[in-house]
Amino acid sequence: MIFRAVEDTDLIRQASRGSVESYNLLVSRWEKRMYNYLLRITGNREDALDLAQDVFLKAYQNLRKLDDPGRFGSWLYRIAHNEAYSLFRKRKPEVDVDTVEPAPTDIGITVGGSSVFPIELSLAVASALDRLSPDQREAVVLKIYQGFKFEEMAEILSCPVSTVKSRLYTALELLKAELAPISPRGVS
Amino acid sequence: MSCSPFDLRDFYLKELSDPQQRQVEAHVRDCAACREELDRLRLTQAALFSLRDEEIPQRIAFVSDPVFEPSAARRWWNAFWGSSARLGFAGAALLSAALFFSAVTRTAGTGGGLTQSDVDRRIQLAVAASEARQTQTTTKLVHDLVQHADTEHNLRLVAEDESRIAKEQAWAIVKDSGGVVSSPNYSGDPK
Repeated sequence: MIFRAVEDTDLIRQASRGSVESYNLLVSRWEKRMYNYLLRITGNREDALDLAQDVFLKAYQNLRKLDDPGRFGSWLYRIAHNEAYSLFRKRKPEVDVDTVEPAPTDIGITVGGSSVFPIELSLAVASALDRLSPDQREAVVLKIYQGFKFEEMAEILSCPVSTVKSRLYTALELLKAELAPISPRGVS
Repeated sequence: MSCSPFDLRDFYLKELSDPQQRQVEAHVRDCAACREELDRLRLTQAALFSLRDEEIPQRIAFVSDPVFEPSAARRWWNAFWGSSARLGFAGAALLSAALFFSAVTRTAGTGGGLTQSDVDRRIQLAVAASEARQTQTTTKLVHDLVQHADTEHNLRLVAEDESRIAKEQAWAIVKDSGGVVSSPNYSGDPK
């Protein structure tokens, strides 16, 4: 267990009273997680970095509105979700992001046309994630990579727990079919 | 379709309550199909974890954005209070200023503006007051002494009267009894 001299909740209280140093420390604790979350739902490093900056700026501006510092994590991801979907809508204003079916790709997450993950498995995973809808992909990222509970995911995504589970389990079935197909001995 | 009493995915993601988790664990021990389903979920998650977290390519700009830095005055103020030497110097300066202010604005001491005649007059008044107090004390003492002497004189007279009456009564008794008794201490006439 990693001991922290100052808890996040203390930093949040100090930051909400105007301590920039405390907020900077808070950002340094969360920036990697936030960047990777945004990278996995946008699939683009530049977008992820720009969005992360916007997220932390917006969070700082609205920190006083956060009633419970213990919920900072889900509150921050909620901002990130909104910022990311706002970007999606700007990019594809004519498309409903809730129903969009992403075109299959075979290069996974890319930056400037080159593959980020050269390992074959990573490519396969990136490709499989790419085939999911944005909602399904985000559900996987929040649950598998970020470790949120269903209730927290529902809060972040502003939808019922049942919807969260539906998106996640549909995504898991698709990923399972691609990444862990039924072995021949399991087929009757 | 799974034959587990609860959703295996909920079980795998630890979203069931403790009793439910135990129920599924017990079921999975005896069910090969559910074990295989769990293995596939583990494989899928392991594959997903092959995508490692990346380091952020650069720190979030907010951290060093000058817009959010304190103003120059604020930085000076913070630096000022952060230096014990400066703080000590400020304390000394404040003390010096207080002493100077006190010296400049202090009112003149007693006697600074009196003339010789004023002093003489005050001395005379003080002496007169002292003499008056002495006279009053002396008068009172004399009065008390006189009163005391009068009281003693009166008491002595009363005592003498009482003594004389007692002797007269004794003499009368002797006379009535017919005895001749001289009255050694009585020099006056027995009237």
